[in-house]
Amino acid sequence: MMVFNILTDGFFAALAAIGFGAISDPPLKAFRFIALLAAVGHACRYCLMNFLDFDISSGSLVGAAIIGFGSLWLGKRVRTPMTVLYIPALLPMIPGKFAYNMVFSQIMYLQSLDIPAQRAIYMEMFFSNTMVTCTVVFMLAVGATLPMFIFPKRAYSLTRQKL
Amino acid sequence: MDRQSQEKLSEVGEFISEYSSHMIGCGVHTSRVIRSAKRIADTFGYVVNINVYQKTIILTVLNPISHEHYSEVKDIPNLPISFEHNSRLSALSWETYDKHLDLSTLRERYKQIISAPSVHSFFVLILVGIANASFCQLFGGDALSMGIVFSATITGLFLKQQMTAAGINHYIVFIVSAFVASLCASTALIFDTTSEIALATSVLYLVPGVPLINGVIDVVEGYVLTGFARLVKASLLIVCIATGLSFTLLLVKDNLL
Amino acid sequence: METFWKTIAEYNSQTWGYQLILILTGIFLTISLLREPKRWNVMAMKIFFIVLYLWIAIVYFYICCAERSYNIVMSIFWVVLSVAWLWDLITGYTTFEYNKKHVKLAALLIIMPLLYPVASLYRGLSFPVTTTPVMPCSVVVFTIGILLLFSRKVNLFIVLLLCHWSLIGLSKTFFFNIPEDYMLAFASVPAIYLFFKEYYFRHVNKESKPNIKYLKWLLILLCIAICLILMGTMFVELLVDK
Repeated sequence: MMVFNILTDGFFAALAAIGFGAISDPPLKAFRFIALLAAVGHACRYCLMNFLDFDISSGSLVGAAIIGFGSLWLGKRVRTPMTVLYIPALLPMIPGKFAYNMVFSQIMYLQSLDIPAQRAIYMEMFFSNTMVTCTVVFMLAVGATLPMFIFPKRAYSLTRQKL
Repeated sequence: MDRQSQEKLSEVGEFISEYSSHMIGCGVHTSRVIRSAKRIADTFGYVVNINVYQKTIILTVLNPISHEHYSEVKDIPNLPISFEHNSRLSALSWETYDKHLDLSTLRERYKQIISAPSVHSFFVLILVGIANASFCQLFGGDALSMGIVFSATITGLFLKQQMTAAGINHYIVFIVSAFVASLCASTALIFDTTSEIALATSVLYLVPGVPLINGVIDVVEGYVLTGFARLVKASLLIVCIATGLSFTLLLVKDNLL
Repeated sequence: METFWKTIAEYNSQTWGYQLILILTGIFLTISLLREPKRWNVMAMKIFFIVLYLWIAIVYFYICCAERSYNIVMSIFWVVLSVAWLWDLITGYTTFEYNKKHVKLAALLIIMPLLYPVASLYRGLSFPVTTTPVMPCSVVVFTIGILLLFSRKVNLFIVLLLCHWSLIGLSKTFFFNIPEDYMLAFASVPAIYLFFKEYYFRHVNKESKPNIKYLKWLLILLCIAICLILMGTMFVELLVDK
């Protein structure tokens, strides 16, 4: 059952990454690698969060770093820059539920200005959700960009043809 | 014979300005554009320095032997994001560098790359629908919500494609398509299903992931101004999504509590 | 579920006269468009749709279904649809040019709203507790039929919204026990196929990314998948009934 959960998680993350990648017009060859990276990254975060008690932001950082290193490795095969592979692969990790709650609590706060008790609840809800959303998005960007700074030479010559 | 005399300075300069403004326009982060442009200039024996702003680029190409230089300010075109152009244009700069292509071949290749068809809009429509539906699953939505999100996404994205093609201001496009998609998804409320998740995921196809991450990369690499410009642009779009979503939320808020 | 049929009964008994007028106008305009689409009847048809959708939004959902929860959402949904028609009226996008290719299916769809009450009566319900032609689902079928009959140039956004509605209709059959809506859901699948085909693959360029062949297969696969899901739910419902 556990393995099944991890696999479905990876599978749906891959589907999501393919779709979000398609919006930005990637090379057709890149699709399978985008899917692979997204599946591995998301499943990894799933495992960390469910079995090793990681919180969402550090889990995302590790997942994103895996995606980043993967894109450095696979980018050479399709001769495409890292960003082309890792941006779509990161998108399934965006904390949509928290972002939604952020908007929702903001609206509810404005609706309940006259009721102090409710106002406090929504204020608290807004801040905690904003905090999570912003931290996770930042961690995703940093984690995936990290390999680019560790191995600049390889990262900058991914599109070079072998002579 | 030195390398500089093979191609005229002004022609190389014109090509580089067109090449780099196109790359910035289609969503490539700043340092890559500058590296690629320098590589091309280097092939012809020139040195190029580029200053990138949000709407224009300024560049100077220098002939280090004769000390002539060529300067240009060029508008950045408003292009859809294209990873295909990103990777093929980067590859082109390496090819020029490694194989010493002459300028006419380079221009020809460049034209070929930018005139190639982009992904078919029907393909995008279906794939994004599936993507959002699987997103819904990742957040714990059930099969019915997935179906509703699929159909809501397709409706919203189609509207976005049509409105973008009609040249409507993209903030309005984002607000309207976020509203329509979330309204369609909010019909999930009448059923006994995970309707809140359906609502939350229905607008996620609009998230401007590319400018967000490019912005962070730019800031970290020291192009703080362009990086912040990208981040501001992206956050304005996110505010638009939130606005569209909040119209729907205001309609249904009593049922969500 | 009881509120559902109660609101329908109220709606029918209070507005049957107006409904009749709307039905007759619809029939008249369809026939006149079939003879020859001219400027006046194309405009009239679009105005008819705007009025009809606003009717559904305001009279049906906002006033008569006030008892049901979430009626506001439905109401706004239909307002959006009528705004889409208004946009169409202003820009003159849909031309209502007769397209001979899909006459049979289109005719079936156009007649179907009239079959709705018959199906209800056949199930042993009696007026006013029946479905009538001026109800959301029958209006959806009618519009899809009209658009299919004149499918040279079609506003696909309206079609997508309508298909979204029929998807909801399908799920509703599950919860509220209205088997009539299976007709709607099944009719919309071939309609989706034909509309997408007309819209995207009529002017085929030589080059596309990915190849046009794969895109056509994708469309066919999509329709097959929707059909399978429909049949699956129907099957499940039959099992539950037993």
